[in-house]
Amino acid sequence: MKRRIEIGVLYSRSGSYQLISDACRAGAARAIADINADRQHDIELVPVERDPQSNADRYATLCEDIFRTSSARHVIGCVTSWSRKETIPVLEKAGGMLWYACPYEGFEANEHVVYMHACPNQHLVPLMAHVAPRFGANGFLLGSNYIWGWEMNRVARDLIADAGGKVLGERYLRIGETDVSRLIDEIRVTRPNFILNNLIGTSSYAFLAAYRELGQEDAAFKPDACPVISCNLTEGELPAIGETGKGHLSAGPYFAPCPAAFASSFEASAYASVQVMADVLSGDPDAGPAEFSKAFAERRFATRLGPIAIDPNTQHATLPVLIGRIADGFFEVVSREEEVAPDPYLSRYDPAKTFGHPRLRVVS
Amino acid sequence: MSRAARIPNLGGAKAFVLHRPHTTVQAITRQLSAIGLEAVECWPHLPAEALAADFVFFDADLGFDEQFPWKPGEAPMPLVALIGSEAPGRIEWALSHNADAQLLKPVGTAGVYSALLIARQSFEARKRLAGEIAALRQRVGERQTIVRAVAALSKGSGDDRAYAQLRLLAMGWQISVEEAARRIVAMTEAEDGDDQSHRA
Repeated sequence: MKRRIEIGVLYSRSGSYQLISDACRAGAARAIADINADRQHDIELVPVERDPQSNADRYATLCEDIFRTSSARHVIGCVTSWSRKETIPVLEKAGGMLWYACPYEGFEANEHVVYMHACPNQHLVPLMAHVAPRFGANGFLLGSNYIWGWEMNRVARDLIADAGGKVLGERYLRIGETDVSRLIDEIRVTRPNFILNNLIGTSSYAFLAAYRELGQEDAAFKPDACPVISCNLTEGELPAIGETGKGHLSAGPYFAPCPAAFASSFEASAYASVQVMADVLSGDPDAGPAEFSKAFAERRFATRLGPIAIDPNTQHATLPVLIGRIADGFFEVVSREEEVAPDPYLSRYDPAKTFGHPRLRVVS
Repeated sequence: MSRAARIPNLGGAKAFVLHRPHTTVQAITRQLSAIGLEAVECWPHLPAEALAADFVFFDADLGFDEQFPWKPGEAPMPLVALIGSEAPGRIEWALSHNADAQLLKPVGTAGVYSALLIARQSFEARKRLAGEIAALRQRVGERQTIVRAVAALSKGSGDDRAYAQLRLLAMGWQISVEEAARRIVAMTEAEDGDDQSHRA
């Protein structure tokens, strides 16, 4: 007889970033189904699901609702950093834990959150280190108008300076905005070497479509001359982007090989989150932050993504770092580094190691 | 090209936490190590090594002057006060040590990172201002020297021309006007001394 353990699932089923949300939810649902079907596992996970409908204000109240109406103390959910930050006070009050399966901007290490996707030393830093020597260090920075874009672009400004480049522009769009004509005009005039895209959902799709048109007018804006680079673009959004994404670059812990176990890194990371959670809960169904912290310090976890270590100090996962170039409906991996330990505060970041010795300038 | 100061990288910095053993210390230490700092707990005294620390967190509730290897207000690094009781006397004492930032107890899962950044910025601003004030004080103290130098140079000509000459000399010697004034006064005094020796 399996012990039943309720767990919260807090993903939006509609809204501008629905594709990402759907990918995470699919990964979590599949892991729950696999664990429940597995006779070796002595627990049955019972999802308690709420749908915040991409409204940042609903995450905290619905998380509270999960804690109030069920025995669940673990929640897998949240896509935007905004929603994660809204949920944290509720987790602290209830002694609950959030399993966060999306890349984020770093500079956070809450003991009520397990960060299972990449942070800047696992996405932006290696992506910039790949791009600057190949395309040049002058960048144009884009973002949706909330914390992900603001903080990613703040880190990017420092990285660009360290690489010897210049920030040629920095623009933000409201989440869901699809009028990108001004961005395109500014990019046409400033002629950057690359564009860092922290737009999310429909804004990002509109931008990529308009940028492809710009590339058809002027070859300087084709992906092999001036790529659009992202830290959150995965296979899950390729159908929405279509041909317009081809040749652009993205960093992440997983890109789906063919045949693939998971459709995207969001799905893979959500799946691994539930596996690690279930692994500890099967030994101690009441495990909370303290017990998880102890388990993270003591061992690694076998997951479908391979063995995963979670740093007990920061509760961030050690992950592979891949850079993928969009081909026909999949990412072609152009660089791969295994087991990159998390450094959410970039406290081990070394500009000289990342970008090599800065070029000497002639002083006259 | 001027650029807004970037958020400093705190990796490898050392912080002393002066507080009796308590869950507050654990909460602070956990946050410090997540941010990449090395944390050292101590109570009731700060050891001499603390003089080389990058940050010191101190308990405002049970703290006293003799805990520190420096005089109140003269800490050589940013200080963060850990305040539990908001008793005015205790806040007054924390202020006498020039706390650059504070954290309210009980300390939870956040607050240390912003306290570090704010403490560091206020400490550096205070140090810079103190440096500027010291330099200005010294220049103000040289007023009399300048008057004497202008008087020495103005023999036969007006004060304006003498002052202009003093500035030209300072520029030529690539030193401050005050320093040039000191040289001139010294030279004048030497000459007067010589005159006197001739007379003797």
